Amino acid sequence: MSNKKPTLSSTRQAFGDTLNLMASKNKNIFVVSVDLKSSLKLSKFAKKYPNRFIECGVAEQNATAIAAGLAKSGKTVFLCSYSSFSPAINWAVIKQSICYNNCNVKIISAHSGLLTSAYGATHQMLEDIALVRVLPNMEVFSPCDAIETKKIISVVANSKTPAYVRLVRPDTPLFFDKKLSFTIGKSHVLKKGKDITILGHGPILHSAFQIHNQSLAKLSLEIINCSSIKPLDSKTILKSVKKTGRLIVIEDHQKIGGLGEAIAHLLLENNLSPKFIHLAVDNQFGQSARHCQELYDYYNIGIKALTSAIKKIIS
Amino acid sequence: MNLFFSPQTKKLQKLSWQLRQDLIDMSYYAGHIHIGGSLSALDLILSVYLSDIFNFSQNKRMRSPPVVDASKRTDDNFILSPGHTCPALYVVLAYLKYFSKVELKNYNKMGSILQGHVSKDVPGVLYSSGSLGQGLSFASGLALADKLDKKSRYTICLTSDGEHQEGQIWEALMFANKYKLNKLINIVDCNKYQINGSTQDIMPLDDLAAKYIHFGWTVKEVNGHDFNQITKMLKLAKQSDRPVCIIAHTTFGKGISFMQYDYNFHSLDRLTDFQYKKAQKEIKNHLK
Repeated sequence: MSNKKPTLSSTRQAFGDTLNLMASKNKNIFVVSVDLKSSLKLSKFAKKYPNRFIECGVAEQNATAIAAGLAKSGKTVFLCSYSSFSPAINWAVIKQSICYNNCNVKIISAHSGLLTSAYGATHQMLEDIALVRVLPNMEVFSPCDAIETKKIISVVANSKTPAYVRLVRPDTPLFFDKKLSFTIGKSHVLKKGKDITILGHGPILHSAFQIHNQSLAKLSLEIINCSSIKPLDSKTILKSVKKTGRLIVIEDHQKIGGLGEAIAHLLLENNLSPKFIHLAVDNQFGQSARHCQELYDYYNIGIKALTSAIKKIIS
Repeated sequence: MNLFFSPQTKKLQKLSWQLRQDLIDMSYYAGHIHIGGSLSALDLILSVYLSDIFNFSQNKRMRSPPVVDASKRTDDNFILSPGHTCPALYVVLAYLKYFSKVELKNYNKMGSILQGHVSKDVPGVLYSSGSLGQGLSFASGLALADKLDKKSRYTICLTSDGEHQEGQIWEALMFANKYKLNKLINIVDCNKYQINGSTQDIMPLDDLAAKYIHFGWTVKEVNGHDFNQITKMLKLAKQSDRPVCIIAHTTFGKGISFMQYDYNFHSLDRLTDFQYKKAQKEIKNHLK
């Protein structure tokens, strides 16, 4: 494990750039915006394709059904907002107008998790995965970095089902293997190991590569990027857990309703009971901080907490 | 009062009472139905589908599967936003042979396409609804797509007055105005009642027409049971350069004396034998 400082990059920029590129080839790509054009890096798109950039103002419920109506007319619609608002304010509209009506809308939501550190509790969305993964017809993806964001956006732009893609505010470390391709329902083993499976989604998974504790140096960690939260890659996950017998799930989300819960369910249904630790926010709201690492430490989902969890699970 | 009725108006009037009979049958046989709003909305839906003002020809024959791919559809769009008044839509679609009339007997039965709130599984239905306030936004999305694609299709949405308590409706009004959705027509079924009382008591709408006008819409007001007026306004609505709202003043529970103006008939478990016979008799008198 190297001490080299990782390159940082923006998942939002990756999204905006990819969509711009795809829109030049695919005239059916539409954006429905709720006045977050610049934040979602869509200013270029709006300028280049004014007819395909639909600005709804800060009215998420209307925007969501507008997106569904456009999709019903054959468009591939990207509904772009922050996760604190979409899927929060508009959840019933997502359920009925998008999911039940099975409309081809991609919900792109930035500013997820405690990574929105400075904004405080109302803008640190920790419940979005719970809200969307429960919905029939909905696929749920959480890219670990900007490279994977590009790959996920390219894939969902060509699929025909409702999907949710979770993005974050800050620039985050690049660690997805460029050579890997993203497939719906497929997880990636980013590092092979045999002692402990560490599984997570989003930029927080990078902390698994930052364990530099001397006493743990001999441990062999298997690190799995579970960006396809729904559908889950049960094959890869079960195979790894069967091998290691120890599983730590880490996520910047509430414990309740998060990926960890989905994994625990998967394990139980397959009669597996490995040693299991779920590192996630435990029934609390967030708060402002200058650096997200302060929050990760406070809510016990940072590198310190992961190090303790590894020690505990191996003992 | 209209003293001169066109043959078409006469036909629609007669049909309206025949279909009211279907609705009453459904109220007697099904375990549950939203009957008050269905009876108020019926004449509006009938006018949309049967006045020859709009194009609903594609899916009429039962044997041809419904065309769901929007890009291949040529029909106008109809969106029922208050999904609970679907029995009124079902009886009209059954009359038009979108599906077999026999299916009405299976309304809200397990396995039937006719759910208690309208679903897109019903031939001819574009949008599943039930959660109030969403339909007008969805209709606006359809209308915008057509406008950008330079299609001449009209999108007609039916909303209810009570539904206007949902904030999303007002979001949609601003949107339709911004994008000048001149082929969007929102018919408001103003029956003045909702599940627990009169709309005036629960949350008054006051001057709805003025509100729509301030939101940039063209507004027409009609008696929602007068086919002459409704069809005239629907024709006029096609001429507008802005989105159109037709405020249709209707009677809650229209046509059945003991249901009219009684909000307890918003949601009904089942008609009693006595109520069923009385309702049948009243309808028969109108069909004489």
